[in-house]
Amino acid sequence: MFENTQQFLDMLPIIIIGAGILISTTIEMYSEKSEAVLPWFSVFIFSAAAFYSLVYADKQSIILQNMLSTGGITNIFYFIFNIGAAIVCLLSLDYTKKYGMNYGEYYILIQASVLGMMFMAGAKDLFMIFLGLEIMSVSFYVLAGVNRKKEKAIEGALKYFLLGAFATGFLVYGIALIYGSAQSTSIEVITAGFTSLTGNILFVAGVLLFLIGFSFKIAAFPFHMWVPDVYQGSPTTVSGLFSTAGKAAAFSAIIATLAALFNSSPDNIFSPYLSVLALFSMLFGSIVAIAQSNIKRMLAYSSISHAGYMLIGLAAGSFDGTAGVIFYLTVYTFMNLAAFGIVALIEGENETNLELDSYSGLGNRNPVLAALLSICMFSLAGIPPMAGFFGKYYVFIAAIKSDLIWLAIVGIFSSVISVYFYLRVVVLMYFKDSEFEKVPAKSFSGFLGVTISILLIIALGIFPGSLLDLITSYL
Amino acid sequence: MLNLIIIGFFASAFAPLIYKRTKKYFGWIAASFPLYMFISFILKYNEIASGKIIKEAISWIPSLGINFSFLLDGLSLTFVLIITLIGTAVFLYAGSYMKNYEHTGRFYLYIGVFMTSMIGLVLSDNMITLFVFWELTSISSYLLIGFNHHKESSRKSALQALLVTGGGGLALMAGLILLAQVSGSFEISALYDIHDKIVSSKLYPAVVILILLGAFTKSAQFPFHFWLPNAMEAPTPVSAYLHSATMVKAGIYLIARFNHAIGGTVIWQDTILIAGTITMFIAALLAFNQTDLKKLLAYSTLSVLGTLTMLLGIGSNLAIKAFFIFLVAHSLYKGTLFLVAGIFDHKTGTRNVSMLGGLKKLLPVTMTAALLASFSMMGIIPLVGFIGKETVYSSILEVENFRFLLLALAVISNAFVVMVTILVGIKPFFGKLLPTLKPPQEAPVKMLIGPILLAVFGLLTGLFPNVFIQKLLDRSTISILAEELGITVKLWHGFNYVLLLSFVTLLLGIGLYYFRKQILQILENLSLSNYLKPSFWYERILNGTLSFASLQTKILQNGYLRYYIIFIIITTLGLTGYTLFKISGIGSLDITTDLTIYELIIGIIIIASTFLVITSVSRLKAIVAIGVVGFCIGIIFILYSAPDLALTTFAIETLTVILFVLVLYRLPKYLQFSNPGSKIRDAIIAASVGIFMTMIVLLVTAGEMQSELKKYFAEASLAEGKGRNIVNVILVDFRAIDTLGEITVLAVAAIGVYALLKLRLKEGDK
Repeated sequence: MFENTQQFLDMLPIIIIGAGILISTTIEMYSEKSEAVLPWFSVFIFSAAAFYSLVYADKQSIILQNMLSTGGITNIFYFIFNIGAAIVCLLSLDYTKKYGMNYGEYYILIQASVLGMMFMAGAKDLFMIFLGLEIMSVSFYVLAGVNRKKEKAIEGALKYFLLGAFATGFLVYGIALIYGSAQSTSIEVITAGFTSLTGNILFVAGVLLFLIGFSFKIAAFPFHMWVPDVYQGSPTTVSGLFSTAGKAAAFSAIIATLAALFNSSPDNIFSPYLSVLALFSMLFGSIVAIAQSNIKRMLAYSSISHAGYMLIGLAAGSFDGTAGVIFYLTVYTFMNLAAFGIVALIEGENETNLELDSYSGLGNRNPVLAALLSICMFSLAGIPPMAGFFGKYYVFIAAIKSDLIWLAIVGIFSSVISVYFYLRVVVLMYFKDSEFEKVPAKSFSGFLGVTISILLIIALGIFPGSLLDLITSYL
Repeated sequence: MLNLIIIGFFASAFAPLIYKRTKKYFGWIAASFPLYMFISFILKYNEIASGKIIKEAISWIPSLGINFSFLLDGLSLTFVLIITLIGTAVFLYAGSYMKNYEHTGRFYLYIGVFMTSMIGLVLSDNMITLFVFWELTSISSYLLIGFNHHKESSRKSALQALLVTGGGGLALMAGLILLAQVSGSFEISALYDIHDKIVSSKLYPAVVILILLGAFTKSAQFPFHFWLPNAMEAPTPVSAYLHSATMVKAGIYLIARFNHAIGGTVIWQDTILIAGTITMFIAALLAFNQTDLKKLLAYSTLSVLGTLTMLLGIGSNLAIKAFFIFLVAHSLYKGTLFLVAGIFDHKTGTRNVSMLGGLKKLLPVTMTAALLASFSMMGIIPLVGFIGKETVYSSILEVENFRFLLLALAVISNAFVVMVTILVGIKPFFGKLLPTLKPPQEAPVKMLIGPILLAVFGLLTGLFPNVFIQKLLDRSTISILAEELGITVKLWHGFNYVLLLSFVTLLLGIGLYYFRKQILQILENLSLSNYLKPSFWYERILNGTLSFASLQTKILQNGYLRYYIIFIIITTLGLTGYTLFKISGIGSLDITTDLTIYELIIGIIIIASTFLVITSVSRLKAIVAIGVVGFCIGIIFILYSAPDLALTTFAIETLTVILFVLVLYRLPKYLQFSNPGSKIRDAIIAASVGIFMTMIVLLVTAGEMQSELKKYFAEASLAEGKGRNIVNVILVDFRAIDTLGEITVLAVAAIGVYALLKLRLKEGDK
């Protein structure tokens, strides 16, 4: 399998997680205390993989007979997935206890989903992408329904599974057409012949179906239907994982596959498709989020509109756009995880405290959490100098450079709308008196997870250049 | 300069902590902070006055050309001095005024952040840094307006101000990015040399409109003026500081700052001139039927903001001079009067002018400050307001087009302002002593220092203009117009036409004051239609968006899986169908083909079974029919001599039917059937999908598949893979890793299913 030690080292992040799954399964089988060990074990392997990826990102290579790439952008994605998953595990520790579902398998499934994501980000072959996607999706379907006592969870999981399978159908069909027209599933071959292939109608149809399959995974309008139901029904921590690392993985696969599209032709034929999707996702997400009274549903719609902003970067079809999307994904992962994390902390047993009104007066009841959530909301709304602003800024500027000025302006317009519902949470926390006396449950690990995310948001808000330069250097 | 801004943010962050320990003296401690800033900047006065421009830059995101670059020239120094001087007065004043509020510490945090951001805004030389500070002022203003958050109206006004100014801010960002796109740089000072290139660009009109949108919303120009009077819900120190002296001037600052770089064109000058004139006039009229002290002041502030914008629109040397003097004068007197209004509120319990009167003897010190400020606002010699008004008139007299219209509007607006001044600053002290809610008493020292300080400054500036503002004026005009004026500021210009105008204004104002009740009656009959009020449209749009949001949720997010799938299918068809249709002439496909009798029979069986599926009333029958379709497809594979594929199909079909039966057997019978309408809809959708898929299949088969792979696998499977069944060899040998991967997926699925089953067991244990 490995031609030399270097290949082994290049693949180490994947190996860590893969071995981690096997070890975790063994622990789960033979240990009585697996529920106590596995969360911290998961945090450990995720952090190890994340930091290894980041430190050795400059060693780029292609391994496993042109199947996987390592280093560079791939490793940055590895970092996003693993840090995200580590934070999710921290958040889950006390949350799962609250619902009586702290099973070891929960963590093994998270590990498996991350393995799938890593295959997607590093894929050099369409089959690897499909494989990674399925590993991730199957884990996700189960995670969505892991709280079996909740009817909403089961309903959500079933919807997720059915629609997910449906979308996978599009994806596979697309891959088949691409294979038929390009004579290969190797991404390098496809990239090399991209310009001439766009004249082939089968190839165009294949790419479109491929994009539609992924539009479902990134939750872009109109393939977003499952999102509110699933995010609401699933355990809050799991929704956090879906909306961040899951979305990042889908974007990583699009970027990996269509690198040629995003690095060359400014007047590429897929840009209209991506622009339209971006346009509707942004506006739909922002407008409908206003009408929500459940905070998880609100975050679900907000994630739809964020998918729209990221699609702007893809529609721009340029280096700047791609770099902007990756930056946006990083920032978005942290701010959304922090938001879901705080929601999970405040959530009471049996799904109480999930309405927006439960946040009234939080500024007095728990000033620290209120302040953290405010930072999150400001960042999600894209108000400078929070990191969220730079995410939007980069994709907008990329759009303008690619002559998609109208799209950037719609994006700004949609941001204005979104300010309304994000800040409503802040208003409730500080400007309204509480009707509840309950102080949120204390969870050290959950608080730690939220704090790490917030610190990363602030750091990226102050030094956005450091990450952006890193991304640009690998593109 | 960056260090001062960082100090500012840090100091603000610690304000609540320090406040907790030193409640009583905190006003003094807090005031020392803007005072320190004031002193640090006044020390640079000589340098700036001698014509130097101080620049400072630290790179932030060098790859995008975004830096923390700051620039201190005449214009920014003027603004910084105003911000810090009034800040000192307000911070001290608030120490006493905010004493009985909850969370006073937090108040200082917000206002400290505001002041620092405002300083950052006027010092920024980089457009993005400027924008960041711009939004920070909007947010801190939002938090300060909503500070009395127990009141519903407070929260509403705060949100309104934020949506209008924040939204305008984003428009500004779009404008700045476009501008950078045209000019290739984010540094404002770099724009001066390429004025012609910018102005002749295709994007120039968009740049102007977007930047002016930002400026007009922030400075509450018509038709965005409505948020400012509502913002008076804020505690009085906030109104005095943000909504009269500093934040609302940020838009005007922006216009002045960019005037040299992108101004000088017809679209720029005229838009500014028209918006400013309308604001000046309408705001003055709207002030008329107000009785609340702060609302009166707010409308007069609006009118002044309009005048300032109008002067920038005129853009002549004299107009810029008038702009500058009027700006300084207004900040000084309006700050004082707001603080005086706060004293009334605090010490008598009311802000209603009709309930105030005869306070001369009870509030002597307050009266001194109030009168000084009022005289300045009315334009009475020798205060700085007089010089301001004189230069405004003389600059209008220089205008070529519509000179007399502008003049008439200016005189009338100023007359209304005079009336407001009499109401706010003079009437409460004279006449009969009116009963108030609280027994009136003189304000404490902390609340008096501020107004007195500002009022006296106004007097001194009026008496010795060449000492106080002459040099800054020269430097500022260079920033705005890029040329030195060489005009001196004098208090007395002799008896001339302009002096006469000032006099007329004053008389007119006094007249308005005495006949205000009669005029009010006339005005009431002329009440404006709702459709003409911008605030009406704001409400409309806001409510419209809200109900649109709920409606959309109902239609699109109804929870039914089948509708979700329909929606997805339609979109897919639409998007791909359209693109495909655009690329190639799908119509030119050759669909004639030789049909054997077997194929025909199988085809008929498939179609017949399909009809059976959709018409059947029992689930079992439908499943069987689906099975028949599957088996027929298997037979087609046999006909095309692909027995392995056929075998796989048979196996899978059998399994599917069994699984289906097992699951569906447990379900109840069909209870209801879809109505004809939805049947037709489903039929149409199904037919379109069918046609679309057929098209794709035809396309696939139409092109010759000249695949190297076919040949390669046929040759290599026996030689390298040691197997005759090519498909099997591919699965277990050539693409073994893929197969391994698929097995991994299945394993993961198994873990998942196991987890679910285990959960069920544990549940059963209970």
